[in-house]
Amino acid sequence: MNPIIKEDHLHLWLAKIKIICLKMFGRRASQLLRELASCEPGQLTAYNTDTFEQVIKECNEHNLQLQSLIRKIEDANLDIQTTRNEDHFGAVIHHLSLARNKRGLMSYMYNRAEIIQSLRWTIGPVLPLEIQEKLNYSEEEYYKNHSTAIEAYMSQLDLDLTVDMVPPKDPYIRVKVLDDIGEVCLGEHTISLTPQSLHFIKRVDAEPFILQGLMEEFLE
Amino acid sequence: MERGEAAKRRGGGGGGHGGKKRCRSSEEGVEEREGGAGDPALRGWPSSEGREQIQLLEETLDEFTENRSDDLVVSLYQMDLDRALFLLRSYLRIRLQKIENYMVHISKTNLWNRLSEQEQRFAKRCIEIMEKHLEQSVLSRLPYGYQSMLKQSISSEEDDMVPEPQLDTFVFCKTKSDVGAFQLDDTGEEIVDLVADDLYVLRYKSIRGLVDGGRIDLV
Repeated sequence: MNPIIKEDHLHLWLAKIKIICLKMFGRRASQLLRELASCEPGQLTAYNTDTFEQVIKECNEHNLQLQSLIRKIEDANLDIQTTRNEDHFGAVIHHLSLARNKRGLMSYMYNRAEIIQSLRWTIGPVLPLEIQEKLNYSEEEYYKNHSTAIEAYMSQLDLDLTVDMVPPKDPYIRVKVLDDIGEVCLGEHTISLTPQSLHFIKRVDAEPFILQGLMEEFLE
Repeated sequence: MERGEAAKRRGGGGGGHGGKKRCRSSEEGVEEREGGAGDPALRGWPSSEGREQIQLLEETLDEFTENRSDDLVVSLYQMDLDRALFLLRSYLRIRLQKIENYMVHISKTNLWNRLSEQEQRFAKRCIEIMEKHLEQSVLSRLPYGYQSMLKQSISSEEDDMVPEPQLDTFVFCKTKSDVGAFQLDDTGEEIVDLVADDLYVLRYKSIRGLVDGGRIDLV
């Protein structure tokens, strides 16, 4: 660093360098986030293993550089807290890039986790294959654990919160069975839910089947 | 005390009286729920009154069914019960979703005391699950010093990685009574005269105190 740069110019100068470096250094992480942002709200893209791994690699490279610069300062017997030479600013930039990459990775995972957990309310405890394929191993585990947490909460209250998603108009609805469900006991009656049959049953009873795609509301 | 009151309502009421009571309770439910949805932060836990009302309805319904009352009457009670159940479920769902979104933030602030006992248990578990997930997919693979879920790095003094609700958003609200000249910002440059029963669109942050104090409703 040129020692002539004055203290008050330093921030400006640093800020400029920071912008240039972060543009180069943080690019991959920002790609991940752009991918999230370009999605329709609530939609999930396939987990981007390649880019994710590259960002992790970048982080470790930043750390190596950072450590070697710190070592260089220490080797020159300079005080690490007060030294403001080129090695110090280099280290700061690597540190900031690393922190930025971390924010990127964490936001990516966190936002995906939010979408994933919302699926528990719209789809049910078991995810269809085409969604499972988009998740990584940890995310699948997260979904299962989160589902169990919701179920534990509901069983404490003794109230199923996943039914009754729309305001009730009529306690009964007309439904058409899409898949062979078989004999089901609803209230006091046992009815046989064979494919294509029509029934007039309680909305609360029908909702779990509709959610799983085994039944649909029959509208005339 | 609450339990006794509920029993009294049930015992002394008969058909007509009970009906009036139920109506009021449903309306209160709506208020609580809608405020809850528009409210970026969490409200206090309203005790178990809603639950008791529903129990009461269920009992009434059973009684009517046993006595083989008119089908129409039974189905009216059934519909009322369904409506109350929907309100309760939907209210609890909205709370859970708020907790899911900002669990760490809630656990670190006094919002924690606004959760019911079960919700606290749920939130704790959610945090553990989220931590495990982030730990194994991101944090454990980062260099030493950058592995905290709450801090960006070891050199951060505060927890600077916790997602917080956006309290700056605008909300629709309705005043219950005259508040008078109300200061919207710290500097005192923006002052609104809040008149009773009027609609406003204001930043949630600035009217938060009024909402908590029950002087203004979110619409």
